[in-house]
Amino acid sequence: MTKRTVEYQVSRTPELGTDFKPAQGLMTPTELEEPSLLSENMLINVGPQHPATHGVLRLILELDGETVVRCEPNIGYLHSSFEKLAEYRTYNQIVTLTDRMDYLAPLIYNCAHVMAVEKLMGIEVTERCKVLRVIMMELDRIFSHLLWLGTWAIDVGAFTPFLYSFQEREKVYSLHESFTGARITTSATRVGGLMADVPEGWPEGVREFAHGVVKTLDEVEYLLSTNSIHLGRTQGVGAISGEDAINYGFSGPNLRASGVPYDVRKDRPYYDYETYDFEVPIGEHGDCYDRYMVRMEEMRQSVRILHQALDRLPDGPVDVDDPRVVLPTKTDAMNDMESMIHHFKQIMDGIKAPPGECYFPVEGSKGELGMYVVSDGGPKPIRWRVRPPSFVNLSVIPKLVEGELLADVIMVNASLDIVLGEIDR
Amino acid sequence: MTDESQPSAFEGIEGEGTEIDASSARMPEGIEKTHPSIDPLGARFGDAILRHEVSAGDEHIVYVEAERSLEILEWLKDDPDQSFNYLSDVTAVDYGGDRPIQVVYQLYSIPFRRALRIKVELPVEALEIDSVVSLWQSANWLEREVYDLFGVRFRNHPDLRRILMPPNYAEGHPLRKDFPLRGRFSRAEQTRRALEMDADDYYVEAQLGPGREPQLVPWQELGGEPVKKREPDAESGDGTKEEGP
Amino acid sequence: MSDSSIEKAGSGLPGGIFGSGTPTFLTTKVDFVINWARRNSLWPMPFGTACCAIEMMASAATKNDLARFGMERMSFSPRQADVLICAGRVPYKLAPVLRRIWDQMPQPKWSVSMGACASSGGVFDAYSMVQGIDTIIPVDVYVPGCPPRPEGLIYGLMMIQEKIRGETLGRHSEHRAESPDEVGRPHADEFKVAALSGPFGNSTRQNRTSGLVPASRRERPGDRLP
Repeated sequence: MTKRTVEYQVSRTPELGTDFKPAQGLMTPTELEEPSLLSENMLINVGPQHPATHGVLRLILELDGETVVRCEPNIGYLHSSFEKLAEYRTYNQIVTLTDRMDYLAPLIYNCAHVMAVEKLMGIEVTERCKVLRVIMMELDRIFSHLLWLGTWAIDVGAFTPFLYSFQEREKVYSLHESFTGARITTSATRVGGLMADVPEGWPEGVREFAHGVVKTLDEVEYLLSTNSIHLGRTQGVGAISGEDAINYGFSGPNLRASGVPYDVRKDRPYYDYETYDFEVPIGEHGDCYDRYMVRMEEMRQSVRILHQALDRLPDGPVDVDDPRVVLPTKTDAMNDMESMIHHFKQIMDGIKAPPGECYFPVEGSKGELGMYVVSDGGPKPIRWRVRPPSFVNLSVIPKLVEGELLADVIMVNASLDIVLGEIDR
Repeated sequence: MTDESQPSAFEGIEGEGTEIDASSARMPEGIEKTHPSIDPLGARFGDAILRHEVSAGDEHIVYVEAERSLEILEWLKDDPDQSFNYLSDVTAVDYGGDRPIQVVYQLYSIPFRRALRIKVELPVEALEIDSVVSLWQSANWLEREVYDLFGVRFRNHPDLRRILMPPNYAEGHPLRKDFPLRGRFSRAEQTRRALEMDADDYYVEAQLGPGREPQLVPWQELGGEPVKKREPDAESGDGTKEEGP
Repeated sequence: MSDSSIEKAGSGLPGGIFGSGTPTFLTTKVDFVINWARRNSLWPMPFGTACCAIEMMASAATKNDLARFGMERMSFSPRQADVLICAGRVPYKLAPVLRRIWDQMPQPKWSVSMGACASSGGVFDAYSMVQGIDTIIPVDVYVPGCPPRPEGLIYGLMMIQEKIRGETLGRHSEHRAESPDEVGRPHADEFKVAALSGPFGNSTRQNRTSGLVPASRRERPGDRLP
C-alpha cells in the first residue's frame, strides 16, 4: 500500500498543552497508512467489440479502484491468415492482400511488398516510378495519420476533428479512386512498376490536397494542442523512456516521441529519401502528448516531401524495361505470338524470383514495416512475412498503462495508433 | 544521406557511432561485401557460427548453433562494437519436407546503422530454442507468435501460449508447410467448434491474493487447463469452478 | 412494443382485427405507423472489424452523412440497436462474439453483411476465416464490394428500410422470433456449411508451387490441396 503524507494543524485544545498555548504552525507531517478497504481487484473486459479499441482488440484489465494493476491485451480476433495465403499466391497477387492488411495506409503496404520483391530480384525501378511511389507513400502516411487524428480526438472527447479529418480523407479517397479505381483497397503497385501510370491531373490533385491539408491541420491543432482537457488527458500519460522504447521494439512515431531519432527513411534510406529535405520530429517525454505532437508534425513534413517529390516528378515510363516482370503491351499481345505466350506465361505462372530472401524495411505510417520475402526460386514465396509495426507497438501497452487510471488506457491505446488488420494478420 | 539534418544516433553510445559509412546504408549501389560483425563473431564463437550468407545484394545472414544462440545474441546486443540494440523481428521459416525450421532474428543497431540477420536451424522433431525476452522485451509477443504459428517452443519465455489463434485451437500450427490452407477440420466442424467457444471462457475463478474471495481470472494466468462448463443442474451449492493446478 | 401482446389483445376482438395473416384496415394503418417509425430511426450496431469499418466510418462522416436516414446514433451497445452492420472479415475466433452480439440485440432486429469477406469469406478462403457470416447469424441484406463504397452501404440500409416497410405486426412473430434453443448456435445447418468446404472457383488453383522443393519425395501430407 502506498503511504500518504498529510499535513494537519492541531486544534487549540486545553488537553494538548500544559500552558494553554496553541500549537504554532504546522505539525510535522505524519505518515498514515492508506486505510484498508478490504477491496478486491476487479477485472474488466474491454472489447473485442468496443468503440475505443479501434477494431477488435480485447483488453483484460485488472483494476484496483480505478488504477490499472494489470493489463492483458488479447489479440487474434482478426487473424485472417495473410501469411499462409501469400504462400499460395504469386508475387503480384500478394499485392491485393497487402492493402487489406493495413487498410489505413494501403499504398505504403503495396509499395513495401513490391520493393522487397524487386530487391530480391535485383530490379531497379524507373525514376518516375520511384518518385511516384514516394508520393504515394507520403500521401498515405497523411491518410493514415488523419484517421488516427480523428479517432484520437473522439477518444479524447472531441467529435469535430473527426469530421474535419474525414473531410480531408475524402480527398485522398478521391485521389486513390482516380488512380486505382478503389477507395481503400488500392492494389496500385506491381513488381517492376505500377498498375498504370497516374491519370492526367493526378499530381495536381495531390498538390491541391497538400495545400489544403495544412489548413485543416492548423484548425485541428487550434482545437486540440492547447485545449486543457486534451492536455490534461495526454500529458504525462503512458510515458516510456528512450532506452525502454528501443528495448520494447517501439518504432515509428511512438519511438520518436521517446526521443530516439530512428526513422527508416533517414537511417536506412530507400528511394532517395536522403535527397529530400525533411525533418524527423522528435519528442521529449515519450508520453501520449508527445506522440500526438510527433504525428502532427510528421504530417506537415510529409506535405513537404510531397511538394518536393511533385516538383521533381520526371516524365518517362513507370514500368521497368524488363521482360521478366513486365507484361507486354496489349497491342503486342494481340498481334505477336511470342508476346502473347509471354503474356500468358506471366499471368498463369507468375513472376519467378531467384532463390534467396530479402528483408526490406520501410517507414510505414505506424513504424518500421519490414517485408520479409523468402523465395525458393518459384513464382510464389515460400515464406512471406510482414514485420508488423503495430503488433510490436501494441505489445508495450501493458507496460504503458499499468499504474495509470482506467480512463488513460483509452488514451494510451489511441496514441499507439494501431491497426488490427496488421496486428492479427 | 544528409548529415546535417540527420540527428545523431541514439546518444546512449556516442563515440563509437562516428565512423558510419553513409554509403553502406544505401541499398543497390554501395553493395557491401563484408559485414563488420562477421569476423568478430567467428573469432569469438568459433564453430558455433555455422555459415555466413549474403542475400539480395547486401543482407548478411549468419547461421548459428541452436544451443549457443542466446549467448551469441547477448554478445551482439551488449558488445559495444556491435550493440544491436533493436530487435526488429523474430520469425520462422518452414521450407517444408524434412528440412529444418529456421528461426530468424532481424537485428538492427541504431547507433551504427547496421542490420544483421541471425538464423537458427531447428529440426522438426526438436523445436526448442532459448527465448531472448531477457535481452529484448520486443521478443515477447513475436516469440509467442512463432510458437503459435510454427510450434517452436522457447525456453524460459515468461508467457508462452497461443496469441493469434484461440487458446483451445486443436488443429495444430498453421504456418507449417504440412498444414493445409483451409485447416485440418471441415468447415462445419470449425464453425461448430468456434461457436462452442464461450466468449467468456477465457476466465476462471481463482483467488488473486490471500484472504480474497475467488474471482474470475484468465485461466492461462494460472497455468491451468480449460475449465469444463458447469452443467445447469449441477447440485454443488457453491459456484466455484474447478481451478487449474 | 411486444408483438404477442397485440396479437393476444386482437384475438379477442370481433372480426379479428389483429387476426394473423389477414390484413385489415386497422392493422395496415398500425403497421404503417409503426413501420414508419421503425425504419426512420434505425440505430445501427457497427460491428466493424476491418477495411469495411473504415468505409462505414466514412459513411457516417462528413460527406456521406448516414444521419440523413435516421441513423444518427451509432449504438455501440447491442442492447439498444436495431441493425447489425457486420463490416469486415470475421475469423472463427470472433464468431462467438458476433453470435453473442446478435443474441443480445432485442427484437425486432435486422442485419447487414457488409463486404465480400463478411458475405462469403472473400479472398480469405483460409483456415481461420468464417466463410460468410450467414453461417453464424441470419442476414437480411448483403452489400457486395471489397470494401463497398459508402453509397453501397447506404443503399443496403435503404433496402432494410424497404424491407421494414413491407412487414406487418401480425406476421412479425413468425419470421422474427428465435427460439431460445437457437441462441449461440450456428445459423446455417451443417450440410450447408460443409458445402462451403468444397473446392470451387479460384480456390482450386490454390496450391503451393515452388522451384526447389521437389514435389514428390519431400512433400509432407497436406502440402497440396486435394
